[in-house]
Amino acid sequence: MTRKLSPAVLMACRNLLRNRIRSALACFGIVIGVIAIASLGILGFTLQAGFMENMGDVANQIEVTPATGGDGMGFGGATDDTLSEREVRDVRQSAVGASVVPVRQDTVDIEYGDMSTTRTAYSVSEPNVLFEAEDGRLPAQMSSGVLVGNTLADTMDANVGSTMTVDGDSYRVVGVLEEVPWTAPVNPNFGIVVPENELRDEEYSSVVVEERSADSAEATAERIDETLNRRDDVVDVQESSDLIENIQEQQRLLTMFLIAVGSISLFVAGVSILNVMLMSTVERREEIGVLRAVGVRRTSVMKVLLTESVLLGIVGGAVGLVLSVGIGAVINHFMLGDAFLVFQPGNVRYLATAMGFAVGISLVSGAYPAWKAANEKPVEALRG
Amino acid sequence: MSRKVAELEGVVKRYESGEDELTVLSGVDFGVERGEFVTVMGPSGCGKTTMLNILGLLDEPTEGTVRLDGKDATDLTEKERTLARRESIGFVFQDFYLIPTLTAEENVDVPTAFSGGSGGRARELLETVGLGDRVDHYPDELSGGQKQRVALARSLVNSPGVLLADEPTGNLDKETSDSVLDEIRRICDDGVGVVAVTHDEKLTEYSDRDVRLDEGEVRRTGKVTE
Ligand SMILES: Nc1ncnc2c1ncn2[C@@H]1O[C@H](COP(=O)(O)OP(=O)(O)OP(=O)(O)O)[C@@H](O)[C@H]1O
Ligand SMILES: [Mg+2]
Repeated sequence: MTRKLSPAVLMACRNLLRNRIRSALACFGIVIGVIAIASLGILGFTLQAGFMENMGDVANQIEVTPATGGDGMGFGGATDDTLSEREVRDVRQSAVGASVVPVRQDTVDIEYGDMSTTRTAYSVSEPNVLFEAEDGRLPAQMSSGVLVGNTLADTMDANVGSTMTVDGDSYRVVGVLEEVPWTAPVNPNFGIVVPENELRDEEYSSVVVEERSADSAEATAERIDETLNRRDDVVDVQESSDLIENIQEQQRLLTMFLIAVGSISLFVAGVSILNVMLMSTVERREEIGVLRAVGVRRTSVMKVLLTESVLLGIVGGAVGLVLSVGIGAVINHFMLGDAFLVFQPGNVRYLATAMGFAVGISLVSGAYPAWKAANEKPVEALRG
Repeated sequence: MSRKVAELEGVVKRYESGEDELTVLSGVDFGVERGEFVTVMGPSGCGKTTMLNILGLLDEPTEGTVRLDGKDATDLTEKERTLARRESIGFVFQDFYLIPTLTAEENVDVPTAFSGGSGGRARELLETVGLGDRVDHYPDELSGGQKQRVALARSLVNSPGVLLADEPTGNLDKETSDSVLDEIRRICDDGVGVVAVTHDEKLTEYSDRDVRLDEGEVRRTGKVTE
């Protein structure tokens, strides 16, 4: 026999080529299964990656708001919908080293050009901690002018340098904000940011604390909660990372679900390999009997047959892999704007899983027919 | 004491199908020595193939002893039987039984392929049986006689001590069967024990010894005579 190829592989290849259509159809099942698992996995991962790209930079923020619900009858603490100066001071003391930004908010009437609308206005002492400017600049301390939220700026076609009327007073637009993720504690996408003390409402609606990392944010959130809520529930402390983790967890579940759905098609493909291998071993009963009769061992016969089914898995898996990478590239191109992101480790993991599953399932499916054929008595096989 | 390369002693073979019991062999004593060509004749269905299968460790006797090279081979495990077949027995089957997906040379190589190959012996054997120009042909590209010669070459690739041939000339015309028999005779003269099962009286012209497997009437004793 050809020196280059082991006899098992040679015989397996020849057998698969003997009935090309049948082999191709069995491969095709695996192709579909691999595509299902890999591309659904990539879709899920890409959704997650897209989410993190938008939400990731607020993971280190904490929002402290007045407590809702709970003991509404309680005395003392300001269980209304605002935070007192003292509470803000307490937050500052619990979050040493972090940026603490108290936020006021109110509803205002805005006029710009020939448009007028009612929106939420926020006032913060240090806008550059919470926001980024898409256009114009963000002052460290805001003393004059307004910042316009991203969506509102689009709607009104507002430009830096133009004038905007807020509750009857004229302000210069000093900046247009970048879009803020919806998980952020303060979200002025549809509103504006005005200088401190420009709002009628003197009380703070919330305090945003920005830590260096999501981890230290967790510790700080705990400290704030312990200090301020020692006796009574005065404030709610919400970490952005909690929210993000919740969403991520749900996305992971969704991805797992998608993959589970995809796996069903691989199982079906496995059944079809089992079927093909059973048919082909029954057809080749005599041939296998001859192999055994002339001294080929059962393990060698099994090796030939398992090689056949695994080859189906490998070929089908490889074709499926190539197609999946293509599909993944399209998904990544449209969702993340870069087709090559399909080669991220997270995606590669799903590709590898799909391939491994394909080979594994073909091995499992081939096992029974191979075992059955190899263990038949050669005399009986030869008698027909 | 036995110089016999393969031997049956008191071999009984019974088939049970439901209530019925069919005794095909009922006490066969038979042996073949190195370099000896023995034919086994008998009517169809008398148990010739069965006897050959038992002799070649393909089948197990219901009673009795099978010896290979003087050693008791009756109670070998399946694995040991397979290895013994690979090491010391050559088979030529009633219907060639070549593997259709393999070329002539690959077919000849099958018995040794999984244990390292024959190292060119397959090709030599094909040349010996006059098929040097057909090594890369597939079975469906060969005539009946050519297939039989490929099967013969396959039975010799492992340098067996005993060659068991079931109707080696069954499907062949006179000329081809002559060349196949010449070949078998030559193998035999090289020291291989040959047992050929046949209906064909012509084989006796080549053999050293002829026995009849005579079941008498139906389902009766199989008896070896000289
Ligand atoms: N597995 C089996 N179960 C039952 N009966 C069997 C079985 N195998 C063989 N026989 C019977 O044993 C008898 C001998 O069969 P065998 O094949 O040895 O005959 P043979 O002498 O080789 O015949 P032929 O010359 O036609 O090849 C037959 O009657 C057959 O029906
Ligand atoms: Mg027969």
